[in-house]
Amino acid sequence: MNKQQFLNALEVKLCGLPSEDAQKTLDFYAEMIDDRIDDGLSEEDAVAAIGNIHDISNEILKDIPMPKLVKQAAKNSRALSAWEIVLLILGSPIWLSLIIAAIAVVLSVYVVLWSVIISLYAVFFSLAVCGIAGVFVFPVFAFMGNTVQGVFLIGCGLVCVGLAILMFMVSNLATKGILWLSRKIWFLIKRCFAKRRGGNEKV
Amino acid sequence: MDIQLKRGLLDVCVLSAIKSEDSYGYKIIKDIKPHVEISESTLYPILRRLEVANLLTVRTAEHNGRLRKYYRITKLGLKRIEDFKLEWQEIVSIYNFVNRGEESE
Repeated sequence: MNKQQFLNALEVKLCGLPSEDAQKTLDFYAEMIDDRIDDGLSEEDAVAAIGNIHDISNEILKDIPMPKLVKQAAKNSRALSAWEIVLLILGSPIWLSLIIAAIAVVLSVYVVLWSVIISLYAVFFSLAVCGIAGVFVFPVFAFMGNTVQGVFLIGCGLVCVGLAILMFMVSNLATKGILWLSRKIWFLIKRCFAKRRGGNEKV
Repeated sequence: MDIQLKRGLLDVCVLSAIKSEDSYGYKIIKDIKPHVEISESTLYPILRRLEVANLLTVRTAEHNGRLRKYYRITKLGLKRIEDFKLEWQEIVSIYNFVNRGEESE
């Protein structure tokens, strides 16, 4: 890949970003390639040394805040013709409710995921309380003469404590998983906004 | 190394690379590379971040018939390096505390 091909490919990847950001990025990488060529590398080697275009665009996208992307997407969508506006208004009872429903579904899935986490922690907490209670209730039973039941309760308590420790590890893992998933989804939404404008530009 | 920690360290490395004289992207990478692994795709967001935070300024100058961006450290940037040195002394004292067992063995 030569310098121009690299820059063109990068430009395509960046077309959803605000144009000022995209241009600055292209300038930066062009300068980097030129400096490497001045340093004695061939054009191909200089481009290869810069790295993967996909990684570059992802790094930049991570840095640009969501509101800026949304604003850019809105700014770049083309003007609607009169009949499109009429259709949009007439169709609003359908698409508006569909969009609201879609957002509601996504939100509720997210809430459900977090409720699973909360219930996992609740199970951990109750197991821990049962365990501790089981161990400490022994003197009461022993005092009342029911030593055997007391020992049985200690056993139950220890089992609960063991389970609680396991539950705590499971809950922590699940929390980390969901946080990771949230970040991934947020990034995907960002990419959608960045892509949308790319599509419109070609029109 | 922890990503968050490496990020903070790279910020200071970049500032330190332009501390004594203005520098440009490729030279910054060449200066830092023997000490920390850094690539263009890592450097670019750092330079942007530092510029937004007013720790460095950018000017464009001609070089070999093309434009090149030069980065200059600001007073705030110099202060960031000094702050880092102070913080690092704290970290060294924590390290010594963590490490005290091994040394006495």
